[in-house]
Amino acid sequence: MVTERLREIAEKTVQYAKKQKVDQAQASAFLVDSSLTRFANSQIHQNVAEKSGGISVKVILNKRISTIRVGTLEEEEIKKAVAEAVKIAKASSPNKEFKSLPEPEKWSPIKGAFDEETANCEPKYRAEKVREAIETAHSRSPDVKAVAGYFSTGSMAYAVANLLGVSAWADMSVAYMKTTVISKSGTSEGFGTAEKYSRRIKDIKPSLLAEDAAEKSVKSINPVKLNPGEYEVVLSPLAVATLLMFTGFGFSATAYQDGQSFVKYNLNQQVFDSKLTVKDDARDSKTLYAVPVDGEGVPKKVLELIDKGFVSEKSICYNSFTAGKENKKSTGHAVLPIGDYYGERPMPSNGIVKAGDATLEEAIAETKHGIFITTVHYVNPVEPIKVILTGLTRDGTFLIENGEISKPILNMRFTDSMLSAFKNIPMIGKQVEMVRSTTVPMMKLKKLRFVGISAY
Amino acid sequence: MSSNFGKIALEEAEKKGASYADIRISEILNENLTVKNGNPETVSLSQEKGFGVRVIVNGAWGFAGSVDMNKEEIQKTVERAVSIAEASALLKKKEAVLAREKPRKDKYVTSFKKDPFKVSLGQKLDVLIQAGRILKEQSQLIKASYAHYHGFRENKLFMSTEGAEINQQITWCGGGLSAIAVKGGEMQTRSYPSAFRGDFSTSGYEFFESLALVDHAKEIGQELLKLFEAEKCPSGEMNLILHGDQLALQIHESCGHPTELDRALGTEADYAGTSFLTPEKLKSFRYGSEKVNIVADATVSRGLGTFGYDDEGAQAKKVYLIKEGIFAGYQSSRETAAELNLKESSGGMRADSPLALPIIRMTNINLLPGNWKVEEIVEDTKDGILVTTNRSWSIDDRRINFQFGTEIGWRIKNGSRDNMIKNPTYMGVTPQFWGSCDAVSKDDWKMWGTPNCGKGVPGQVMYVGHGCGTARFCKVRVGLMK
Repeated sequence: MVTERLREIAEKTVQYAKKQKVDQAQASAFLVDSSLTRFANSQIHQNVAEKSGGISVKVILNKRISTIRVGTLEEEEIKKAVAEAVKIAKASSPNKEFKSLPEPEKWSPIKGAFDEETANCEPKYRAEKVREAIETAHSRSPDVKAVAGYFSTGSMAYAVANLLGVSAWADMSVAYMKTTVISKSGTSEGFGTAEKYSRRIKDIKPSLLAEDAAEKSVKSINPVKLNPGEYEVVLSPLAVATLLMFTGFGFSATAYQDGQSFVKYNLNQQVFDSKLTVKDDARDSKTLYAVPVDGEGVPKKVLELIDKGFVSEKSICYNSFTAGKENKKSTGHAVLPIGDYYGERPMPSNGIVKAGDATLEEAIAETKHGIFITTVHYVNPVEPIKVILTGLTRDGTFLIENGEISKPILNMRFTDSMLSAFKNIPMIGKQVEMVRSTTVPMMKLKKLRFVGISAY
Repeated sequence: MSSNFGKIALEEAEKKGASYADIRISEILNENLTVKNGNPETVSLSQEKGFGVRVIVNGAWGFAGSVDMNKEEIQKTVERAVSIAEASALLKKKEAVLAREKPRKDKYVTSFKKDPFKVSLGQKLDVLIQAGRILKEQSQLIKASYAHYHGFRENKLFMSTEGAEINQQITWCGGGLSAIAVKGGEMQTRSYPSAFRGDFSTSGYEFFESLALVDHAKEIGQELLKLFEAEKCPSGEMNLILHGDQLALQIHESCGHPTELDRALGTEADYAGTSFLTPEKLKSFRYGSEKVNIVADATVSRGLGTFGYDDEGAQAKKVYLIKEGIFAGYQSSRETAAELNLKESSGGMRADSPLALPIIRMTNINLLPGNWKVEEIVEDTKDGILVTTNRSWSIDDRRINFQFGTEIGWRIKNGSRDNMIKNPTYMGVTPQFWGSCDAVSKDDWKMWGTPNCGKGVPGQVMYVGHGCGTARFCKVRVGLMK
């Protein structure tokens, strides 16, 4: 078992550190095995596999903290890394805000997080599924000109140990596929996209994705211009996921403590529509990243991020460092060891929106004059306290008139506060979809502010 | 870096039927220091080593990489790359063809005076702690101050079955300051010398020293506090003057990305997007005014995107992307250059790790100096705004419609800098925007380093440079916040 090997390495590593008389030490060993087949212009153009592993070693000496991360699991290299971490800590300055690494807590593995078939998928299988997607999309219409996308399969595992007795591990598999279809009629192009994420490869149905993307693509040829302004919008789960992910930055203890979080200024207030309830729960079968412990080996707690529109102190995600600053316990939201070395801010990574009772068809039927958005592109925060985001619609934007999708429209730029956008949600979908770190339904918003129009 | 290791891989690939193969063996060091509120928050050194093998089998590409540097793993990894290529070939519409590139045997090292990896950690932290504390002490309204340092080194060996064997060492470093202040539910931020953790250069520690973070900490803190009292950004159409650090990002997003040939040929259609600069527009499309000359130049001294050879062995070069306002060229790879019957690759293939596949990336995308002095641009402006330091950015997937926000700005009235303005934002349409460029400075031209350009699936983060000064754009829509 991979996790047993990683656990052994992590536990040995903290013992090497103990011999060097550190106050505290933590080791996180990881292995990633991922493959991705990418296609464009209806052929595979990039096909890659990556097998990487390494260990992150953190040592603390008189509140002097250092981290060394090496891309190897070789014993001699790890010993060198520990020695280097101790050397760096000695040369560093104390961080007075540091309290302690986490104490051990009870935890248990998550059943169904790892799927052998997904972890060991062969390139030929992915190529065959890509072919299925391409052929399906082209078969939908002669206007389909090109199919692009990617199909990724793989697994990751990590184990964390510290000198206070933490020893925990996780392994999981992930498969995802995206299909983007480009159509053309005369000089006008149309675009459509569909995505699917799962822990199990068998849930990925390329032909369904291709049909969905192709239908949107063909229907979005010859878009018309809609003037900027405020409109009712029906958001597909892909669009909801992106907007909520950016809103989710406000649940980080780092943002909260630095005064950058909207939660800080709205404690115990109903910020969003009362129909909006979002929890963060890594053990829920509907979430993608099913890991029982975080990057410090702390069991992932269930958090009510948004409870019937209300946010509170209970909405905040902590790691041991940010928790220590408030004399609290970590909620198990430290970044995973395979994460980016740039950021250590705790974040929700298993946000699940409570399903509503509507269907997409009903949401469209209930809209007199509005916009259907398939997905949004290049979204970025403009102002974090009001959660003002800007971005563009993409790959299938349609006008809804008198309860029906009437015509495709040119992509539009929105710049609006998410506190305002999610304040009035007339309808929430009854079906939820895994989309990266969130699990979301479609939603109808009463208004979203658009400030510009793109050229296509 | 062992060339024997590389030879084994290439021989193995040829044995298994590869018509072309290359290998990159690389070791990357990243030293990251972040001091928050005067406390060292991140003191981190990461070391990554491994290799990546690219093969063409049956006319299709395969790639595999591994961190285990032993003979058995080489064979397994080559085998994996070959089986992936065979799978790719099942859906092949055309053969992978490469533009000619002279296989070179060479060594290249970026220059530095003081090796950043030999300067003590204590010395670096002293600067960051001092600067961070000065910044934080300016007011209790300042909720967080950050001081950053980042040092990078990559030693890599590239070898190909065509006979190339190139050793390179790339070293860069830099850093910066930033702070966040909150007053009455309003948040403001200020950074120095640029957003995104500062400024970076292929130089030694002397570059970080030249930023003089401690000397600038008080000024930045004071400027941050003044933003609360500043006027709102005016709303409407007016002259917009972009200072170099914001202009660098404008160039990056609206010229750098759309001139990437992989985007123009559709291979990023599923993620980053395509480009409005499609091949039939090459050499004829008016991208900007005659004042606009933009090059991709991997040879410029101290640029963050400066190197000797790209990751498929193409020599660094300078290529015009926009010449006197006309779309003049693409950033390309050997394969995409061949597809467009271009003579050669522009030398833009780069990977962020030995385990990552090289893709077309920016090198240094530079707006060449014009004829104006910065002072003259301001004096010549009757009504407008001057803005600096990026705060938010967004552009569509063909790189036409953009919106940017900056940390700070000033109203320009009758040729002089008037009141400070807060939350400046502007939006535009790329060819119209660059078409309205009527003044480009010459006296404040410098290289800016952007260490965080994201592209590709799986995602890669690349360090790129942008040379520019200050430029003026006419009739731009500004003030988009409610």
